[in-house]
Amino acid sequence: MTFFDEHLKKGSFQICHCNNCDQNLWPPKEICHICNEETEWSESMNVGKIIEFSKKNSSYFGMIELKEKIRVMGEIFSNDEPKIGQNVTMKAFFDTRPHYSFTVENN
Amino acid sequence: MNNVAIIGTGQTKFSKEEANVEKLLFESSNECIQSVSNCSSKDIDGVLVSTNNNSKYMGAILSEFLDIQPRIAHSIEHLCSSGTNAIISAYSYISSGLADVVLVSGVDSTTNPGQILEWDRSRGNFEHPIYWASMLTKAHKRKFQTSEEELAIVSAKNHKHAMDNPHAYSNEPKTITEIMNSKQITKDLRIMDCSRSCSGSSSVLLASEKSATEFSDSPIWISGIGQKTTSASFTKNDLDEIKSTHVAADSAYKMANILPNDIDVAEVHDAFSVCELMAISELGITSGEKSGEFVRNLFNTEDRMINPRGGLIGAGHPLGATGISQTIEITNQLQGKSEKRQINNAKIGLIHNMSAAGTSSSVMVMKN
Repeated sequence: MTFFDEHLKKGSFQICHCNNCDQNLWPPKEICHICNEETEWSESMNVGKIIEFSKKNSSYFGMIELKEKIRVMGEIFSNDEPKIGQNVTMKAFFDTRPHYSFTVENN
Repeated sequence: MNNVAIIGTGQTKFSKEEANVEKLLFESSNECIQSVSNCSSKDIDGVLVSTNNNSKYMGAILSEFLDIQPRIAHSIEHLCSSGTNAIISAYSYISSGLADVVLVSGVDSTTNPGQILEWDRSRGNFEHPIYWASMLTKAHKRKFQTSEEELAIVSAKNHKHAMDNPHAYSNEPKTITEIMNSKQITKDLRIMDCSRSCSGSSSVLLASEKSATEFSDSPIWISGIGQKTTSASFTKNDLDEIKSTHVAADSAYKMANILPNDIDVAEVHDAFSVCELMAISELGITSGEKSGEFVRNLFNTEDRMINPRGGLIGAGHPLGATGISQTIEITNQLQGKSEKRQINNAKIGLIHNMSAAGTSSSVMVMKN
């Protein structure tokens, strides 16, 4: 199991960062593909914005851009129809694969 | 660089039933070799198998089935565009002089892996293609005010074309109303907007100019090729474009020395209804704003210019065989052999095949 998946299992979405190049790397990797330096890990701020959304049965889902400029897909919890650009907070876990879910702020 | 042509074709009927991939491969490759009267299997010095099946060593296995010992034999996997990647690899072997006559056979069975890219961590548990298709559809509606009816017309048109394709998994017509009332998979996607995973196999025989003119009276020349991969992850691409298709098309047009309006007939990768609308605009055939209207006009005037065999939605989508079936359709069109599906006086044809939400595209231009 990878470092990322192991932490996700504990509910922590880890951001992979190269200090030398000062950029976040996605998908996460242990060595930076630009400078070959070892990457650093830190917990995501777990906040982002809605890029696009749709609905399956009664649940919304969509693409979210995290504050760290990484885009992921997940379920969106919202009482009303979500809006593009709306702020969300993220919860993440891992069973057989990653799960990301988002709650619209001021829901 | 040697010129390269398609000189032979063969394909099985597509089906939603599980099937033995080796049997399918043998059936389409045998038909393909027999389609070229002057050529025998002993003339083949390359065998490429395009598949997402987990079987190993398929190039060698197919060669042994055919009782030949080619110089080159291996398999090629690139999800839904494995087929055109195999054809372009064969082109490269021939144009470089490493091979002279290459058999390219694609196959998949309905339950083969390949629909879902498990590697893509960014999709979370929304890994199935219906979710990226919903995102692209919603973004298209948002940007171009695309209507539910315009999306349904893509599917209605392609099902209509498939009625005249004996290899399609179904020859049943679907009305716009039926499509619009079909099961809602997500708010932005209905079941009849989706291509269906199928069992099936398709094969083409490629040859150098010298052998092509020796073996065939009607070789169809591959005159332009463009390819582009932008990522493997779906979420790294903007939702309102398929950049890989745009870039690949530009390269293919430049190589073939044509413009988009020179194209008489095109097979485009309609994995979902929205993909056809996006593809025809990225290929420069029409604009994004007018893509819905363009397809509506094709449907109303019974113009079969786009996806005459029924596309992936109408004909079915056996992943590794799809790009090869698209190429066979364009070959037949340029040879004037498409019977009821024939576009009058087709001179220039295009094939567009892509993978994993359009993260990778192949475009080929063919001339007769």
